[in-house]
Amino acid sequence: MNKPEPENLGAHSRRTFLKSLGTVAATAATAQVTSVAAELEKVNAEKVVGPNAVPVTLKVNGQKLKLLLEPRVTLLDALRNYSTFTGAKEGCDRATCGACTVLLGDTPVYSCQKLAIEAQGEEITTVEGLAKNEKLSKVQSAFLDQDALQCGYCTPGFVMSVTALLKRNSHPNAADVKHACAGNLCRCGTQPRIIQAALKAAGVETASRTEVVDYV
Amino acid sequence: MKAFEYATAHSTASARELVAGNGAYLAGGNDLLGLLKEYLVSANILVNIKSLPGLDKIERGEKHWSIGSLVTVAQIEDDMEIKKVFPGLHEAASDVASQQIRNVATVGGNLAQHSRCWYFRQRDVPCLKKNGDLCYARNGENRYHSLFTGNPCISPVVSSLATIFTSLDATAIVLRDGKEIRLSMAELYQRAWENPLAHNSLNHGDLILRVEIPTARNRSAYMQVSDKHAFDWALVSCAAAAEVVAGKLKSPRVALGSISPVPHQVEAANHFLDGKVLDAATATQAADLILKDAKPLEHNAYKMPIAHALIRRTLLKLKGTA
Amino acid sequence: MSNWPTETKYISHATTRIDAPAKLTGKARYASDIQAEGWLYGMILRSKWPAAKILSINLEAALKIPGIKAAVTVKDGPRTIRFYGEELAAVAGTSKQACLDALRAIEVQAEPRHDFVVNEAEARKENAAQVWEGSPNSSKPQVRESGSVDTAFPECAAVVEGFYSTPIQIHHPMETHGNTISWTDDGVKAWASTQGISSVRDGLAGALQLNHSQVRVVTEYMGGGFGAKFGAGVEGILAAKLSKAAKAPVRLMLTRFEQALAVGNRPSSFQKIKIGATADGMLHAFEAENYGTAGIGGGGDGGGGGGGADITLPYLYKVPNSRVKQSVVAVNAGGARAFRAPGNPPASFGMESVMDDLAVKLGMDPLEFRLKNDPNPIRQREYKLGAEKFGWKQKYSKPGSSPGVVKIGVGCAAGAWPAGGGSSDTQGEAQINPDGSIEFRLGVQDIGTGTRTVIAVIAAELLGLKPEQITVKVGDTNYPPGPGSGGSTTCPSISPTVFDICQKALAQLQTQSGLADARGANWFAACKKLGVSPLVVHGKWQRGLSADRACGVQFAEVEVDTETGLVTVKKILGVHDCGLIINKLTLESQINGGIIMGMGYALYEERVMDDLSGVMLNPNFETYKLPGIADVPNIDIVLINMPERGVIGIGEPATIPTAGAIANAIANAIGVRVCSLPITPAKILAALGKVPPVTT
Repeated sequence: MNKPEPENLGAHSRRTFLKSLGTVAATAATAQVTSVAAELEKVNAEKVVGPNAVPVTLKVNGQKLKLLLEPRVTLLDALRNYSTFTGAKEGCDRATCGACTVLLGDTPVYSCQKLAIEAQGEEITTVEGLAKNEKLSKVQSAFLDQDALQCGYCTPGFVMSVTALLKRNSHPNAADVKHACAGNLCRCGTQPRIIQAALKAAGVETASRTEVVDYV
Repeated sequence: MKAFEYATAHSTASARELVAGNGAYLAGGNDLLGLLKEYLVSANILVNIKSLPGLDKIERGEKHWSIGSLVTVAQIEDDMEIKKVFPGLHEAASDVASQQIRNVATVGGNLAQHSRCWYFRQRDVPCLKKNGDLCYARNGENRYHSLFTGNPCISPVVSSLATIFTSLDATAIVLRDGKEIRLSMAELYQRAWENPLAHNSLNHGDLILRVEIPTARNRSAYMQVSDKHAFDWALVSCAAAAEVVAGKLKSPRVALGSISPVPHQVEAANHFLDGKVLDAATATQAADLILKDAKPLEHNAYKMPIAHALIRRTLLKLKGTA
Repeated sequence: MSNWPTETKYISHATTRIDAPAKLTGKARYASDIQAEGWLYGMILRSKWPAAKILSINLEAALKIPGIKAAVTVKDGPRTIRFYGEELAAVAGTSKQACLDALRAIEVQAEPRHDFVVNEAEARKENAAQVWEGSPNSSKPQVRESGSVDTAFPECAAVVEGFYSTPIQIHHPMETHGNTISWTDDGVKAWASTQGISSVRDGLAGALQLNHSQVRVVTEYMGGGFGAKFGAGVEGILAAKLSKAAKAPVRLMLTRFEQALAVGNRPSSFQKIKIGATADGMLHAFEAENYGTAGIGGGGDGGGGGGGADITLPYLYKVPNSRVKQSVVAVNAGGARAFRAPGNPPASFGMESVMDDLAVKLGMDPLEFRLKNDPNPIRQREYKLGAEKFGWKQKYSKPGSSPGVVKIGVGCAAGAWPAGGGSSDTQGEAQINPDGSIEFRLGVQDIGTGTRTVIAVIAAELLGLKPEQITVKVGDTNYPPGPGSGGSTTCPSISPTVFDICQKALAQLQTQSGLADARGANWFAACKKLGVSPLVVHGKWQRGLSADRACGVQFAEVEVDTETGLVTVKKILGVHDCGLIINKLTLESQINGGIIMGMGYALYEERVMDDLSGVMLNPNFETYKLPGIADVPNIDIVLINMPERGVIGIGEPATIPTAGAIANAIANAIGVRVCSLPITPAKILAALGKVPPVTT
């Protein structure tokens, strides 16, 4: 029976054929079959993984995490439930509250709406990765000073959003802070102080808005 | 979400092949993952299209610009040249959702996003759009729904980019079965008017490649009103674009979003505005023409005055943009 | 009677939160973060029908899903479901994914009922579907009368009538309800997201038939409660049962979807009010009829599903002739739970709205009208102080007189919270070590209010130390019992308790060391004299150091775009008293929080139910709208310092008057009243007559 030449196959059966060869064929490539190797490389780059768990490597706060995850596992799920990074919180799991905000590089994203498998190769920063040698970052210190937190559940998300803002714009005004943090919700009502904290981290002091008056 | 396979496509042909059957393209994932989490769509495989070459460029040209479908909304917002040349597009982009979403949301995904009707999005309501027998919104809670309601599914298009692209007369270039087809914004959404199951005119496997925007209209503006000041779907959105020559409008276009399954544009209104001097009176007349055939529902007639105001304000803003 | 010190270094000043670093670095572990050894993920299956008879639940297929270690039902055998989202069963497994798959594999045999009702007005009708079999939906109206209201109205110079409504508001703390629970042969350990560790312990012990001493509840950090997090909850009991079955700890947290449906809300109100005053501006007659829903409430006896939807009218004002009729109506929706100042925000909204309208009718300044009719001396002071700081006289003009398309308006409203006193059952202890380190242990919760820091501040003040030197441990049923964190009672409960501990500690240290004064500079020397044995001092709440009742008056300035209906709150001024200020910094945060929550109530929040399908349409943050950072106005605060009253709570007073103040400011801006919360652009445009009629 003739073995079909790779070049004559339609894309679909070429894929199946090459899949069945596995990667071993690459090492046996001759000049005539370099096109097979090229095809194999392409196939491997387009390799279908899952639905069962597959190895996923995530770089979190400089640390490499080697996990075994189904493709449907979100980055937030991977952080909170498959490793010990519980700093990012689950507030809604629907990209509406920002409690799960992490940085991919310098970019703030909702980790609940990002597949873990797609966060490979990124420098992921969570709130646990901001303090250096126990010393709070500028943003974290400012939040502390200005009391920009109450129950603390939305806090990691806001801290990441403000951190990202200051990386892009070291002299934001209140409107910039609001624009950067519109995707973060808080139920305790820390928003006024978050604005103050962000400005403070940028070197701008804001006056207290409270007056104490004796009754008598 | 149900379990799915995952693969990254490196060519549009592979992508098309990989989603054949019951696969879905995965770009930013904001809409798709939300739909999967609610079991509103099912997909055996998610095909990452973010590595497809050549779809992430903003290309500046004399006669038209080309924005790749993988360009993120944040990139559009941050592009200072777009802000100068297409100010309405800049405004629309900066109003989209939140920073975190804009950072990953793509032009293609924003255009192709599914209905936000809360009956559609409620997993246990068998509405018309999910092959059920009834549009629950028509006689139910319809405060966020269409003003133009002569069709079966009254869920409006909510893509703010679609609104501004409509006013800029932009064209979506879509790859369908290996061939590029050109769709105006009206054509891109027409099927959503006709077919209650459809969110737009894309077939399964269609891939938006880029959007081409003619530069002819040197002035554009976009505005929206929501209940909240940010991170809230528009109740009504409006975009206007025109060339302004010696204070007169040339080739004006006005479009409304969030009030019809298709970005709403009225030929007669554009025609009326053409050659006119832009002032409050012409703007008002244009607004009247655009809203003439509205058939509001029990709870959404409030969108009429909002739409009217936005049309006037967006048009008058054209005076100021350069 | 003991007294708080008058010259203070820390009390009444600003101290940063001692738990801030843990929260800011992600080190703080909430119930949803606990990763106990071998822990499993838990998830609940809920009813997709608003009313149904459940015949059977088959867990077999679910148990076969890889990774699933246990599955339980809420109750075996037939039962009746009365709202969309009611709990049916739960599973525990090694991953969220396994649980999701398992839930979809559970087979439920049910007979859905097509007669259900989710709308209050519909539920009150004669032929409405019955929420509780054999019980009318509406409770028998309770009537309170004084004077002679029917003869009093004709005597009034001005009468105003209106129908005011407030929606169901959902607590939506950022951390949902839930627990991580481990049930072994040694007993139960629950890491709970709760405002009341004792209530969780009691609830679990009761449901699981254990002794209280076999159940330990720990809440080191929790992500907000606002009144909804008391008791074990169905979710807590399910987690415990799963843990026993699986022989592993189970972390079961609600999703945001479930949070919206099933764990409490603020009852709605529908207030028909008629109010009249004499020519000289004194309130003379008041008549109101109110009904609201508390969902399915607590039960069917007596109709109305039980549960509190009552509000106090005529709220703060004494009217010599009044008649108030209250009833509650049951609907097929999640039941109500106490929500930050229960009954008060709706009452304040309704009452303060009619007060403004009546003032306008009389041709009086609304502030002057209130000063005439509200003799409370504290509020009198607050109104006057606030008016001056706010610039009321300069800013107030007749309703609708603001020129232009975007109209400016101002309004004010008052609130009072009758509770806020301390719980006399509060206890605590401190362990003082020979090296001078000190650790306080109280079975109280810090729900974000700054409880830990209050303890540190008071201890530092009374012992002559710095707050950083005080270690504070809270949230463990192994510690001496503290109050539930509700009713604005926490601060007035723990402050006198810490005071008592400190007094006793100093007395003992002074006796043991021979030093006349063990505080401050002498502290370490005194402690050293303890030798090898730490000193453990037990203390409890003492009378005379705290009080109840706190008031507040708020002023709002708004801008209303009369073409689009968009409301922008520019500024809110809150003038509040809360006795002795312990920590100014965290107190301000509480007031900000109350105001912002009140703003959400005024402008954005409401539960939307669909009459036809009986489901909730907005069980998410997309269409249940919380105020965001872009919506929040400038908030100014004036704190009335009244140290002689002792410590009083602030959490609830701060949220009461906000909606009324904003509603009044809007009415002042546009010259016409919107009577229904939330005041959306749609309602503003309708009130302005700009919405065309719809022909159906």
